[in-house]
Amino acid sequence: MSNGWMGKFLTVNLSTGNVNIVDVPQWLQDQYVGGKGYAMKLLYDLLPEGTDPLAPENPLMFFPGPLTGTLAPSMRACVATKSPLTGLLLDSYFGGHFGQEIKYAGYDGIIITGRSDKPVYLWINDDKVELRDAGHLWGTGALEANRAIKDELGDSTIKVSTIGPAGENTVRFALISCEYNRQAGRGGAGAVMGSKNLKAVAIRGSNTVRVSNRKEFLSAVQQGYVELKQSPDVQALVDTGTASAVPFANEAGLLPRRNYQDGTFDLADSISDLGQNNHYWLRSEACAGCPIRCSKVGYIRTGRYAGTISDIVEYESAGLLGSNLEIGDAKAVTYLSALCDSLGIDTISAGSVVGFALEAAEKGLIDKSTLPQNANFGNAEAAAEILKNIAYRKNELGNILAEGVKRAAEKIGSESESFAVHIKGLEVPAWGPRGNPGIALALMTADRGGCHQRGLPLGYELAGEPWKGRILDRLACSGKAEIIVHEQNYLTALDTLVKCDFGHFGISAGTYLRLLKACTGREFSEEQFLELGAKIWNLGRLFNLREGLNPAEDKLPKRFMTEPLPSGPCKGHYFTEADVKLMLTEYYNLRDWDSSGYPTKETICKYGLNDNQKFEIK
Amino acid sequence: MRTVIYTNFDLCTGCAICQMICSEHKTGGTNPRLALLRISPGRNGLIHQPEVCQQCQNAFCLKVCPVEAVYRNKDNGAVIIDDSKCTGCGLCVKACQKSMIMLDKENKAARKCDLCGGDPLCVQFCPTGALQIVKLGGEKDE
Repeated sequence: MSNGWMGKFLTVNLSTGNVNIVDVPQWLQDQYVGGKGYAMKLLYDLLPEGTDPLAPENPLMFFPGPLTGTLAPSMRACVATKSPLTGLLLDSYFGGHFGQEIKYAGYDGIIITGRSDKPVYLWINDDKVELRDAGHLWGTGALEANRAIKDELGDSTIKVSTIGPAGENTVRFALISCEYNRQAGRGGAGAVMGSKNLKAVAIRGSNTVRVSNRKEFLSAVQQGYVELKQSPDVQALVDTGTASAVPFANEAGLLPRRNYQDGTFDLADSISDLGQNNHYWLRSEACAGCPIRCSKVGYIRTGRYAGTISDIVEYESAGLLGSNLEIGDAKAVTYLSALCDSLGIDTISAGSVVGFALEAAEKGLIDKSTLPQNANFGNAEAAAEILKNIAYRKNELGNILAEGVKRAAEKIGSESESFAVHIKGLEVPAWGPRGNPGIALALMTADRGGCHQRGLPLGYELAGEPWKGRILDRLACSGKAEIIVHEQNYLTALDTLVKCDFGHFGISAGTYLRLLKACTGREFSEEQFLELGAKIWNLGRLFNLREGLNPAEDKLPKRFMTEPLPSGPCKGHYFTEADVKLMLTEYYNLRDWDSSGYPTKETICKYGLNDNQKFEIK
Repeated sequence: MRTVIYTNFDLCTGCAICQMICSEHKTGGTNPRLALLRISPGRNGLIHQPEVCQQCQNAFCLKVCPVEAVYRNKDNGAVIIDDSKCTGCGLCVKACQKSMIMLDKENKAARKCDLCGGDPLCVQFCPTGALQIVKLGGEKDE
């Protein structure tokens, strides 16, 4: 096929060992394109209503998009499943090279269901697919397992995704490690993989991805390169990755400190690109087909953590494992981040959960004897110990924290709920929203729970980037919904391709659509593309509602509603019920949802979501 | 004067754009595995080592070809396979001690880097300068 798509799904039932290669239906390709589109439609169709996320029936799916594996700059793939952390949809995106390899092996998606009765890994060598014993790998770290599988199969170029001990022990925020330094991090996809007794997926592909109009495609690729080069945001990522966002967030008062109590941290610079570059960075690293090279790789040269090899500590990880825990030593934060990578847990949830535990201990809500010695904010060794206890569910507290802050607060009880900082069960990323209503609204309405990758309006709200020609009032609640709806729709549409967040800082909508057309032959106007995004977003909402979401959960954690921000330019700010109501009313209106947050019948019909065309695995 | 691609492994980010454009140009589709240059991953991702055909002065592939399908371009010194003569016997693939030649099973011919006629696309597309064109000189290279 010469249209970017491979036209096949690989389905694997781990309970029966059945493996099938099935055609991607034309209607699915026409209506949902790939990536997030396939993810939402297949999750809706394949998951029996009300399925426990850790039950065998929950599908674990990997979807690249039509542009993944081509020369289109900065493309990724996603993992989709029902989240064990939120009980809602989960789409988690990863860069690296694993998504591309899915295409080279001949597939537009891998759909895994069932549960193996013993640990296995899946070995996909084009159309030769095999479940192999993973008993000897069970218990190994996520990166260790990656190495071991390459050695076992005798090919260092095979691409492997793995889980660590946390996934095996179904820690609800366990991740899937997709080759070195790239993770499907959020929402607990690793726990779903662990619940299936699936340690890894290894792939080698020998097919090519072919585009429809080669000459025009290469011209659009070159245009993409030029736009990336011309973007100052992208050039900052080339130089310093996301770590340089630490000082920015600190100045803006968004950097979480002491379990999100505060928004500034006096040691911000030392855990930012400045500190990291001093202590371990050596060179830049890039995902397949990406000229941005936002990764900075190196090893710690001296001191207690000498020899720790790590990728850049991304902004989110620095915020949650650094400032949120009041750890201002770049080397210690790097060690904690590398530890999370090896254990296979999401750094964002991990930092949030540890911060929650430390605060609960300070307030006398948990028995200090269940914590490591001197378990205080600022103590990296204690944090490391807690992380290990979580990953291995070692003691009672580790076991409670492994459930995420929402469930942990329910268990610990009393006032702990007031400082359990999550939205719909997903721990909030390192963008404390007080003083930033647009950010708050993006977090409240993100489809997978408290997430920063669903239209965070940083540029418009904080960096003076004009929205439709006007500069926004940072503190205004009204008028922000329009931006959030637009961004969510646009990003959702781009996630059918599948884009990288950083690529989209530079590459224009016109160029993405040019790439899509030259690759697939399908032409979208910008308006049609936004409609595609809106349709998929609505389908996600319908899935969440079907799986038991109460729309009243579109809300902020109590901390941001009751405690004034103690420092920074928005000192004293917090959100009132009226603020939240105003924003949500505008948002629901623009989404054509009713005042309680349900898509109306007209909306459902408008996007064709009422038809009964269903994807089934026969 | 011999032209070769020089590799700066310290600048290689492992992005594989060089391999993608190579396979796109040579096969009509993208897959880094089908490229005529390789990036060997270091353990733990600390380095990437690009490996390219050196257009050897003492080219084993050229020596072993039984049908004289492998020849040297007089202008840039590139060692080139003449598709019309190649029988796909695979002797050159075996002879290359750097594994820089592969057999194309479909048209049963050997494939190797020909420097894209002198202006290699991999070098043009490399975003960091990890690949450079170098013209070798000196008596010993004549």
